[in-house]
Amino acid sequence: MKFGRAIFDLFSSVRFGIVLLILLFIYMTIGSAGILYPVHPNIFYADAWMHEQMRQWRHLEMTEFEWFHWWPFDLLIGLISLTLIVTTVRRIPFRVINLGVWTIHFGVIVLIVGSFIYFHAKVEGDAPVARRKIVLKLDGVDAPVELLAAPGSSAFIGFGANRMTVEVAEIDPAWTLRSGKDDGGAAYSVKLMVTDASKRFMRQLIANHPEYTEDLMFTNDPAQPMKRAVKETGNPILEPRLSAVLDYESQGYFYLRNDLAKSWALYVRPLGASKWVMRRIDGLPLYNDRINSHSEVFEMSGSTLPIDPIVVSVPATASDDPCPDVTFTVNGYLRYAQTKSRFVAGGANAPFNPSATIDVKSAEGAKANYRLVALDPERSTGDEGVVRMVAVSNEAEFAALLGRAELRIIIPAAGIDVVEPVRVPQDDGKDGAKNDADKPFVAIGDPALGYGFRILAAQDDLPVADRKASVVILDIKTPSAVIRRWVFDDSKLTRDVSAAGGSHSTPIPPDQSVQMEYQPGGGRALLTLAAGPNPEQLRIVTSFGETAGKSEVVAVGQTVTLSAGLTMQVSAYEPRAVIETRPMIVPREQQIRDAHELFAQILLSIPGGQARWLEFSSYAFDDFRFALRRHPFHPMQIRLPDGREMELLFSRQRVPLDTEVALEEFVLTSHEGGYTGEAGTIRDYTSILRFRDEDQWSAPIRVSVNEPIEHNGLWYFQAQWDPPEPPSARDERGSLGLNYTVLGVGNREGVWIQLSGCIIAVLGMIYAFYVKPTLIRRRSERARLAAEMRIGHSNEIVTP
Amino acid sequence: MNMMSKMIAIFLALASWCAVGAHAQSFHEQVDLSPLDSVAVQTEGRLKSFGSFAHGEMGFVSGPRKINGQSPEFTYLDMLFRPEAYADADVIFVKAAIVRKPIADALVRVNPGLAPRMDAFLASGLISESLLARPEVEPVMQQMQSDLLRTAKAMDSVRGARTVMQPEYLLRQLRIIPAAEGDKNQRWSSMRDIMLLAADPGALKAAGATATPIAGIDETKQRDCAAAWKSLVEGWTNGDAAVVNKSLASLAAILPSMNPSAYPDANRLRWESWYFSNGNLVWIWLVYAVSVTLLLLGLVYRWRSARVAGLVVFAIAFALQTGALGLRWWISSRWPNSNMFEAVTTSAWFGGCAAIILEIIMRPRAAAGMFALASGFASAVALMAAHFLPVQLNAQISNMMPVLHDVWLYIHTNVIIFSYCLIFMAAVSAAIYLVYRIFGGKAVYARVGASAASTAVAGGANALRGEKLGEVLDGVTMLLMKLSFVLLWTGIAMGAIWADHSWGRPWGWDPKEVFALNTFVVFAVLVHVRYRVIDKGLWTAVLAVVGAAVMLFNWIVINFIITGLHSYA
Repeated sequence: MKFGRAIFDLFSSVRFGIVLLILLFIYMTIGSAGILYPVHPNIFYADAWMHEQMRQWRHLEMTEFEWFHWWPFDLLIGLISLTLIVTTVRRIPFRVINLGVWTIHFGVIVLIVGSFIYFHAKVEGDAPVARRKIVLKLDGVDAPVELLAAPGSSAFIGFGANRMTVEVAEIDPAWTLRSGKDDGGAAYSVKLMVTDASKRFMRQLIANHPEYTEDLMFTNDPAQPMKRAVKETGNPILEPRLSAVLDYESQGYFYLRNDLAKSWALYVRPLGASKWVMRRIDGLPLYNDRINSHSEVFEMSGSTLPIDPIVVSVPATASDDPCPDVTFTVNGYLRYAQTKSRFVAGGANAPFNPSATIDVKSAEGAKANYRLVALDPERSTGDEGVVRMVAVSNEAEFAALLGRAELRIIIPAAGIDVVEPVRVPQDDGKDGAKNDADKPFVAIGDPALGYGFRILAAQDDLPVADRKASVVILDIKTPSAVIRRWVFDDSKLTRDVSAAGGSHSTPIPPDQSVQMEYQPGGGRALLTLAAGPNPEQLRIVTSFGETAGKSEVVAVGQTVTLSAGLTMQVSAYEPRAVIETRPMIVPREQQIRDAHELFAQILLSIPGGQARWLEFSSYAFDDFRFALRRHPFHPMQIRLPDGREMELLFSRQRVPLDTEVALEEFVLTSHEGGYTGEAGTIRDYTSILRFRDEDQWSAPIRVSVNEPIEHNGLWYFQAQWDPPEPPSARDERGSLGLNYTVLGVGNREGVWIQLSGCIIAVLGMIYAFYVKPTLIRRRSERARLAAEMRIGHSNEIVTP
Repeated sequence: MNMMSKMIAIFLALASWCAVGAHAQSFHEQVDLSPLDSVAVQTEGRLKSFGSFAHGEMGFVSGPRKINGQSPEFTYLDMLFRPEAYADADVIFVKAAIVRKPIADALVRVNPGLAPRMDAFLASGLISESLLARPEVEPVMQQMQSDLLRTAKAMDSVRGARTVMQPEYLLRQLRIIPAAEGDKNQRWSSMRDIMLLAADPGALKAAGATATPIAGIDETKQRDCAAAWKSLVEGWTNGDAAVVNKSLASLAAILPSMNPSAYPDANRLRWESWYFSNGNLVWIWLVYAVSVTLLLLGLVYRWRSARVAGLVVFAIAFALQTGALGLRWWISSRWPNSNMFEAVTTSAWFGGCAAIILEIIMRPRAAAGMFALASGFASAVALMAAHFLPVQLNAQISNMMPVLHDVWLYIHTNVIIFSYCLIFMAAVSAAIYLVYRIFGGKAVYARVGASAASTAVAGGANALRGEKLGEVLDGVTMLLMKLSFVLLWTGIAMGAIWADHSWGRPWGWDPKEVFALNTFVVFAVLVHVRYRVIDKGLWTAVLAVVGAAVMLFNWIVINFIITGLHSYA
């Protein structure tokens, strides 16, 4: 009883309330700003302080949202509410003068109740919605084939001689229509490149205008490479057997945001199936790397990552799980890693696979480092072919490397048969020869004969059909004309392209009055590293200057002078390299700050003893043809011990939407001067959506920044977009963008209660601060007056 | 009053001296760039005056530093026409001190003779393009570029500075030819697009180039424009100021006539150039500083004339600041509250408004002058920050992010920054109260019932003796604190309303939100502590200062260090 009384007193103590408020302040400060502590005795150094987010510590692993929904926080808020109620009721008399404080406290309680409802019902995520997909149908093929309308996306349909390859060649989000009543309007246009055994053509599809579907033919005229089929044949469709239609690519799920609350998931499906089945992964960290041994990963030198294993089992939960009997286990987690392959020594029995690391230094101190693998086409060259590594299996192959690039010119009419070195003029404008027309001709034989040539370009190792070819492009001057010719090392391919300055025409077999043979020699590389034929044998071939290449035997660690001031050193050589693939933990200072979980990986143990790293995918796309640009998609195939083949995907949990949503159009609006790629020129992003209600698409609905919409209890926000990307070395097609949108999706239960709480509290504050003092003043005034009256009255009595 | 006018005269003279400076007569002195003040440039989705554009671009190169005392407009053109003069001049400002040392070390290691120049670089941050381009610097820069946590941003800005210095870039950015159509989505053309029209046809053909006029614009005007540009280039490279001035004038006359309907108002452009060439008028902090000094003298020595003079100077400062704010509003065609510079200066201006109103109401009371003092101090600090930290508080006018285009930007942001300024002002009077207590003032406070006890003490500031002073100071703190308490709460709630329809959640525990709430919690503690403790005045003052510290932490540290959704600067 006494104890109960003490508790009751405690909760009606203002002092206790103040203590709770101070605790709240501390809790919020730590959760939000983290903690700051000195790491150097001189605390005045700028970097003597370390800042850490305490909630991200290894054993807390909390997002902001989780920290503010942890039980200590709930307890604190509960205590504050209790104190507020008890104190108000017990200590503050319910009178006019105290209406303000009562109202404020009531408003705060209402706000807390609203927030409780809001935060406990909260779901929030994002849903990517692509603009269109292409549905392909071919006569005689039952099943239609679908692919995403995205630059570079491709598919094939049909079999054998009937097989057609369809590739998205170009997408213009605002193609100008030039027909009838739509003249001047803009529409989403997709051009497909269709290739079959006998022909190649383009098909253009216009969204919402199937009537404008037409085929385009290639021509030989460089001024107008494409022609509308309707102009040539009278029929807009060249290939009536193939039907291609644009359709909505609707989205039926949204994916929970990991930075709200951790919501990892593993997706499973039998190999070949299209539907993913989700399994939640509960208990996986978010911020800290967890590994079992250092041999699982590549680390930067000096890393002190602790061994800190986890065991998170991922059992089947859904009734339609394709392998309900199989429980996967997650044994490792990396927040930010990149899968890297390294060549390591393979031992004496490994096959010959030479690999080397070389350092090149210039006198001025510039350095370059190359890791080369002779037999791997992607790793055999450096600096666009200037440095390369080859494996030679006999001395003849090695001797060929020493040859220089030469052109043999035979002019039967003039009795000329000469060999000329091939030197490509540098295209840096220094020679004053920016235009081909300015390049000087080199006389062939006696200049008086009037024959000459000028080399415009040379390219080695061009992939042609199933092999590689080298070519020199040059102009030949004869006494009567100038001919442009492509001379291949395989003379069967050599063609005359045009007469310079004349009209363009089809490449034709070369004019036999001037015959040419091209011997590419050691190729374009200035430095060639040749391994073999004896596995331990390593030689370099250099071809600086115009003479034939020089060769030299090199040993690891030996410095070789290449040309003026340029030196080279082989720092490592491994004749029998084997590849080893592991995630490499990216050092913190190299991590992109806004990458979130994009580079996360988990170590997944699969029954049967395998353990494999699985990279994070943004969304569980159906397959590669449906993966959106700039969103990682890394499904992994596995084979279970009983032979079943499955596909796995590591992503975030998804929640079905009540109604599917499709993107009708994406509109980017800009400021003065249009969108120029600078962020400052963007005014707004707008997605025009349609919802699938009762098997019908709804009327278009706009969602733009600051203008969300509500549909069936969920709110849809404009979150991300698909920006245009100019062509680059990695992606030579580029993209005009606007092919998809990412919508934020979330609920907002209880916001009206929260808002009323805030308004009630404000009214209370105004009353307490500005009405109450007036009341008090009036009261004291009245009391003073009354007192004066009394005094005056008594005076009256006293005064005679 | 005589003393007053003298003082104002001294200050105006001081300000103009700062702006002009003294230089030897030279080409740069003879060139008259004023015709360019009314030339517009289309850049990053806006039409700016050439003056503000050049300020922005040159800011990328030399940050807040002026090159050779030249105006940014002059430097822009000089860099474009005589790039060789800048190749080895120390004009690139490397802001981050952390990256200066590795660059200096790398250079000194190979060229010991550079040591004195590198010492200057370490101190000033200015280095030349040719030094940065040296091969020994390259590996160091690459190394720092890969450290995304510490140095990559600094390297990006160095790279940006080097790009901006390229004549090719400067020419391409000079989009001063108005679009043919009035449509605002039309891109303006750069001088580069038409300058060949004035080239000798023979030379043009020899170079393999062609000159085609822009469709839709009078071709003669384009040719005149190109001709004026050509003579400008020739005049500039020959150092002939007369030719330069003539061609600038004709250029400035032709450009607007190419498409008058698409061209912005010449007056607005001139004022914009003026506003930027006068340092965005942040020197007004000096005037505020004078008023604060006078008001403090008046308060401490109960010197009436000083107080009156202080109030007058404060009124002048506030009028000047109102002018600066109005000018910026007109130039940018939006209320200035969307970047750090605007938030800080507008916040101070709100404080000024509150002070003026409170001073009028409190005129006959003892608290007279206190609000002007607090607001003057707040404004002086805010404008000083804008003056001395031009990189952090970037005054450039740029387009707002799409998310900021909402009516709640104007409601929520202004209410919040108003409350921040009041919090700061409350902390000023609280600090004075604490000083009063340190110097033996009695533990007094303003009694409840007299809303702001200041009103209780009548009889003007001359009644401020002994206990009364403490009582009035506490009353002022409480009055400002209560106002900010209501405004902060309202502002937070309004922010939640905006966040609800903008980000999809009214409250997301974003650091900025949490610290706004934390500031409020401190004031909630203050209100309740005041209710409980005996020495109310002391605790109120201490907590008002703590609350202001939390508010400043939110504004400065959270914004610049712990980035979240609210990092608008």
